[in-house]
Parts: sequence; C-alpha cells; structure tokens
Amino acid sequence: MHQKNNMGLPVIQKIPVMKRVSMSARQHWPNIVIVFITLSVITLLALHTKTHLVYEWRWERIPNYLFRWDETEQRWIANLLVEGLITTIRITLYASVVALLLGIILGLARTARPLLIRLFARTYLECLRNVPPIVIIFIFYFFLSEQVIAALELDQWAREIADQPDPWLWTLLFGDMRVFPALISGIIVLALFESAFIGEIIRAGIESIERGQHEAAHSLGLSRWDSLRFIILPQATKKVLPPLGNQFITLLKDSAIVSLISVQEVTYKTLELVASTRLIFEAWLTTAALFFVLCFGLSRLFRYLEGSSRQRSS
Amino acid sequence: MSPLSSINRSSIKPSCSTALLTVLSRCVNNTAVAITLYIAGMGLLIYLAAQGANAMGYNWQWYRIPDYFYQIDEHGLIIGEIPLGLMATLKLSALCFVLAIGLGIVIALLRHAQLSSGRLIATCYLELIRNTPLLVLLYLFYYVLGPVLQLDRYSASVLCLGCYHAALLSEIFRAGINSVDSGQSEAAHAIGLNKIQTYRFIILPQAVKLVIPPLVNELIHVIKNTAILSVIAVAELTTLGRDLISDTYMSFEIWFTIAGVYLLVTLLLSLLASQLEKWYAPKK
Repeated sequence: MHQKNNMGLPVIQKIPVMKRVSMSARQHWPNIVIVFITLSVITLLALHTKTHLVYEWRWERIPNYLFRWDETEQRWIANLLVEGLITTIRITLYASVVALLLGIILGLARTARPLLIRLFARTYLECLRNVPPIVIIFIFYFFLSEQVIAALELDQWAREIADQPDPWLWTLLFGDMRVFPALISGIIVLALFESAFIGEIIRAGIESIERGQHEAAHSLGLSRWDSLRFIILPQATKKVLPPLGNQFITLLKDSAIVSLISVQEVTYKTLELVASTRLIFEAWLTTAALFFVLCFGLSRLFRYLEGSSRQRSS
Repeated sequence: MSPLSSINRSSIKPSCSTALLTVLSRCVNNTAVAITLYIAGMGLLIYLAAQGANAMGYNWQWYRIPDYFYQIDEHGLIIGEIPLGLMATLKLSALCFVLAIGLGIVIALLRHAQLSSGRLIATCYLELIRNTPLLVLLYLFYYVLGPVLQLDRYSASVLCLGCYHAALLSEIFRAGINSVDSGQSEAAHAIGLNKIQTYRFIILPQAVKLVIPPLVNELIHVIKNTAILSVIAVAELTTLGRDLISDTYMSFEIWFTIAGVYLLVTLLLSLLASQLEKWYAPKK
C-alpha cells in the first residue's frame, strides 16, 4: 500500500481519514442520547400537563394588557404591563445613575490612603453586601418612606404637581406623580444596594492599574488627586466599562424586588393583573419574556459595543 | 503619606495651614487614632439614628428581642424563634446548594464536552436563567411550574433557587476545569487514560482546589437569596421576621436583628472563604 511520492517518502493519507470517521461516529451517539433525553422529558411534561392540569389558556387577552385602544383619545396607549415596564426602565436608569455616583465615591474611598475612610467604606460595603436584598429593602423602606419622605412632605408636594392641569414634563420623567414617593424610595433603595457592588468594580478597576503608573505620576510631581484624575481614572475607565454594563443588567433584574415595597413596576403590575383577571400562566410568562428580551438584548448590545471598541483600539 | 511628598509640598507652599494639614493628616493616619475616630463615628451614627427615631415617636423595645433568641423558664432553656428560623434558612440553603451543585456540574460538563446538542441546551438554559430576575423566576416556578408538576411551595422554591444557582455554579465549574492546563489532559491521553479516567484522576482533583473558595462564596449568595422566598411564605428567617413584625409592630428592632443574624452567618462564611483561598493559593 505504500506509495512513494517523488521525494521518495511514504505517503500516509489513509490514517487521518479513518480516524476522523471513527471520531465522528463516536461523537454522534452522545448527541443523540442528549437530544433523546431532552425530547422525552419535554414530551412527558407535556403529557403530564395535558392530563393533570385543568387550565383554560386565554392568550388572546394578553395583548390588550400590553396596549389598549383609548376611545376618548382615539389612539393606542400603554396598558398595565407596558406601563409597568416603562416604570421599570425609569427606575433602572435613575437608580443606576445614583448608584454609579455612590459607587465611584465608595470605590475611591476603598482605595484611599487614610485608614479611617477605608474603615467607613468597608463597613458600608459589608453591611450592604452581606445582608439579603429583601431585608435591606424593607429596612430602608420603613426608614425612607415612613419617616424621611413623610418628614420632607414629599407626598404633598407630589400631589400638588399631580393636580396641575398638565404636568407633562413630570409625567415624562417620573410617570404618574401620585405614586412619586414610592418611586423615589424604590430608586434610592435600589441605588444604595447596587452602589456596594459598583464600588467594588471601581475599586478593582483602580487597583488593576499597575503600581508603576502611580509611582510615575508621583515622581512627575502630580498630587494624589491629579494622578487619579489624569493617569489612573482614564485607564481604569476602560477596564471598568464591561463589568459596569453587566451590573446595569443586574440592576435591571434586581429592580423586580422593589415591587415588594409597592413601587408600580412590571412585577407589581403583573401581580395586580393576576389578582384581577386570574390569567396566572399567561401573565407571568409574558412578564418573564419581557424581562428576558430586555436583559438579553442589553447583554448582546453591550457585548457588541465591547467588541467594536476593542477593534477600534487595536 | 510618604515623607517625600510632605517635604515637597511644604517647600513649595510654606504656609501655616499646609503645615497644620500635614500634622493633622499624619495624626489621622495613625492606626489607633483612626480606629478611635471610627468607633466614635459609628457611635455618633447610631446615636443620631436613635435620636431621629425617638423624634418621630418610635417606641424602642429592644428588651423584648432576647426573648426571641432563647427563654429560660421552669422547664429549662427554650430555643427562641430566631435560631429556629435560622436553622430553617440554613437547611433550605443546603438543599438548594446541593441541587445547584448537581445541576451545575451537569451543565458545566454539557458545555465542556464537544457536543453541539449539549452546548445548545446548556446555552439556552443559561441565557434563560441569567436574563430573568430571580423574583420573576420564583413566581414562574411557584405559579406556573407548581401547578403543572404538583409542587408544593417548599419544593418549588428549592427547585427555583437550585436552578438559578446551578447557572452561576456552572460558570465556576467551567472556569475551574478550563484553568487546568491543557497539557495535563494531553499528558493523560498520552499515557493511555480514557476521557472519564482523565477527568477522574487528572482534571477534577486539580480543579477542585480552584473551585472550593468561589463555592463558599456562592453558598453565601444562596443564603442571601433564600430571603426572597419569604414572598411566597416559605418558612425561613425573613418570613419569620415579617410574621413577628405583623404581630408586634417592632419593625426596626426585628429587621435590624434579622439583618444582624444574616450578617453574622455570611461574614463567618466569607471569612472561611478567604481562609480557603489562602490555603489553596498556588504555592510559588
């Protein structure tokens, strides 16, 4: 079988081909097994549902709760679920801005030189990071909405604005002003809670900059603030952006929790919808799908932006 | 502050205020002074909070809290509700964690193996879990999957948290497996070990060391996330807190106590995690 080519060396072509055939044959059966198991589980589930579950699906009613036709204004307007979704997006945006500011302060404080500042920053961080979000939200809610907001008479102020003939700017920014106090406490609670995690991201970013950069800035005669501003932060920003994007998505997801303190975001609205119409399955599946689309889309977008910025820099 | 910078600055601007500032900053940077100031600051904060609460007419009833930890009467020591709630939380967390480890390993292997179908399933699962809020996931498991599979609230919540954390754990496992040098599996192949033997004797023993510290961190995460189960009234620490508050109206005392208990448990565990990290750190 050994043919000789013009160099006089034996040509071995058959062995790799045979190997590939055997490899693919070996790799096919686990694939088939996995597909078989998955399909059978799905079938069993479907059969089980069919026989044991008495449920009347009414999917056709869901679109009406996304958008409804307004007779008086003759146009489509957002109904419960989309209203809630808009509130969710609002809360997420405002809370992320506040959380970013707090997080930057926290991150700088964590890397500051004086021990006193580091001690305070560490206490803040550990208290927020090691207690379940629900407990934090309830503590701050009792404190914020029942005491601070009542003391500031925010309630009354918001109602006055809501009673104005057309407070379009306020409505655009904060939605229905009558629920403004709840919205604000939701935003503050969420921002406080997330600031701990953003602070850690910022700290990691600052600490990832080589020591030599600090030393070089120092030897150039820059003060600590100037070296932070001109040398460290511009470099840290680049490293920090991808995890910050992830944290933004986490914040969006965590915003579901503030429904427990009756902020009227999409989870809260879904609970309302379920209570009034008993569309249990459809409503929850729709809300989950809304969140999924939003979060998945954002994560894809961030990944794309990250990729394109990396291409530009290289 | 290094001596160089202080000399530098005072030579440029030899004013009285900078000199004072330097002395002050050196004073504050002293460890003992800093810790004293820290304690004083925290004390002030607590005092202010208490004053604020008093000003709005909050009736502090801290003396009633120890009763919820333990009571001593003629029958001897009775364990209070909070330790029992903590035990329930820990038991729940342990169940979820074990389920999550099992599922997480399966998903990590599905992703790691060179199987297109396996990777597809694992990716779908991961994206679904990762892009849905835990609260919504819990409602899905309880209200949708619950009636379908005839799950009670306890098993629905264990399943929900198990699935949620399996997604996070699978990332840890994958990172652990990937961090073992590819030369190791090639060497194992070269000495004639098959795939299972390679995993069993070469990859896993090395990966375990890298995986254990993040596993403990994930356990902390599980314990924190069990608090969310209070929304469907699964018996655990946060649910207990909510029940106690609706009975006694001591919202601040109970919430601070519950938060303190969680803090204690999670801080102890994170101490353990950082110890483990030190032990398992690669020797240089």
